[in-house]
Amino acid sequence: MKLHSNPWLRTAYARLWVRAKSIYGEPLWVAVNVGFPFFTSFSFTMVYRAYGLGAYAGFAILGGVMISFWGNVLWSMASQFNWDKQVGLFEIYISSPAPITAILVGMSLGGILGTAPSAAMVAILGWVIFAPPIHPFWPAVVLVFSLTLASLYAMGMALSSLYLAYGREADSVNEALHEPVSLISGVYFPSVGGISPFPFAVQAAASLVPLTIGMDALRQSLGFPIKVAFIPLYIEALILALMALILLLASSRALRFLENKGRRTGSIAVRQR
Amino acid sequence: MSVLRSIVASVRVGWYREFNWTNPLLGFSMRTVGPLAGVIAASSVYFVGSSAARSFSPSQLAFILIGAALYTHVAAYSWVPTLAIAEGKWTYVFPQVFISPHSSLPYLTGRTLASFFSSTLTVIVSLVLSFFILSSVFNTSIPFTVTPLSVTLLFFAMLVNILAAFGLGLLLSAYALFATKFEWALPTYVAGLLMVFSEALFPVSFLPHPVSDVANVLPFTEFMRASRQAMIQGGDVYSYFSYIGLATLGGVILLAMGFLAFRYAENRARRLGVIDKKTA
Repeated sequence: MKLHSNPWLRTAYARLWVRAKSIYGEPLWVAVNVGFPFFTSFSFTMVYRAYGLGAYAGFAILGGVMISFWGNVLWSMASQFNWDKQVGLFEIYISSPAPITAILVGMSLGGILGTAPSAAMVAILGWVIFAPPIHPFWPAVVLVFSLTLASLYAMGMALSSLYLAYGREADSVNEALHEPVSLISGVYFPSVGGISPFPFAVQAAASLVPLTIGMDALRQSLGFPIKVAFIPLYIEALILALMALILLLASSRALRFLENKGRRTGSIAVRQR
Repeated sequence: MSVLRSIVASVRVGWYREFNWTNPLLGFSMRTVGPLAGVIAASSVYFVGSSAARSFSPSQLAFILIGAALYTHVAAYSWVPTLAIAEGKWTYVFPQVFISPHSSLPYLTGRTLASFFSSTLTVIVSLVLSFFILSSVFNTSIPFTVTPLSVTLLFFAMLVNILAAFGLGLLLSAYALFATKFEWALPTYVAGLLMVFSEALFPVSFLPHPVSDVANVLPFTEFMRASRQAMIQGGDVYSYFSYIGLATLGGVILLAMGFLAFRYAENRARRLGVIDKKTA
């Protein structure tokens, strides 16, 4: 099947290209984006080293890598349609024959491509400076990393429909969500499993967030020194795949519902600011 | 008097900007959730690491708890002048403020003070909540000194730190007057740097020389140390005032630098005609 003959693929490619170009067209963005994840993971790595357990330093470096993607999901996926609506772009999406799911998928892939350089820089700098002990099984790392990103960006797609409905609260909701989700997902420390500081009920609730399962699976596949695993790795991979599928379907349905409702009530292009 | 009126009006503008998008209680709760989660996350990192190494100490937990809470406090309001300019360019507020006589500095001061007051409230609530949550979850007793004197000393340290935070804010604002694309990301960069260099989570002596020497004399570091002397058992008043003295000195120097940089940048921006420039 040729790319140019399929409108879905053409749309996804176009949206991917725009997003990737916005980063790679201005390489300084990589240096700018790397700042916060790097310094945060540097601080937490120093906490592990300063207070007794340098062997866990890798948790913080991995956290810095994944927080880059989580930030991208929140700020450039979940709230993107809301911003597009404010500048009139969403109206064009809706009135064009371009499938909305293709736009979302293209946006996700572009987001991943755009975030990858800064995430890689955090990983490289962290590993060069701190050299944490890891014993990775690379095929599992690649599989789990891909599934984690798939489920995380599918969550971003689902959130984008929610933000589209709620409008101007998006920025404040993003600010309120960023830290708590990082906390319960255990971005910088294992929030689930044997060495989690949290009670079982919190661990169970945290497991509903794809990032939690993804972080745990990544820690296992990278061979971090965790004696007791939360769930076996292959089950976590299956859960991540399932989450990605469910969230993808949910986002597609939610957007279709909002689109239909917006058409009926004539509010689809109403700007709320 | 007109300057004072401008500052008070700007404080009100700042509060409306922060809370008026919803009802004040919801707005306040949502602003507290982030710092609270940040404090618990930093404390959990310490707990996981030190428990595995069998080196857990409640006083070190108190050290991290205070540092994590106050770091978010400083990061929350020191970037407000930059935000007021960057956002103000897009909403046409800042050019309007600028063309009214002698208003930009009182406006930025008022916006910063508004954010200082609200983030002081959120950080106090975060500290109290995280104290109870962490004491219960980690099953430990966190050695805080909570007396009228210690709380007053903590507030005094916070007030003193406005000098340095506003100075930093003005330095960033001087850049924001000219910037058209990276100014939004700059505060997160600065927040990250503060986390590393202000002794928020670990003693700066763990940093390599000469970085540790620079971090050691930053007013933010002295502010953290003074606050810990006030709030953690074992602190003494002599050390507290020594740190406050150094924080004040550093704060005055940073504020003077920020003021001069902003004035220079403002004059240059006026000459170049970029005060309302939004795109490169």
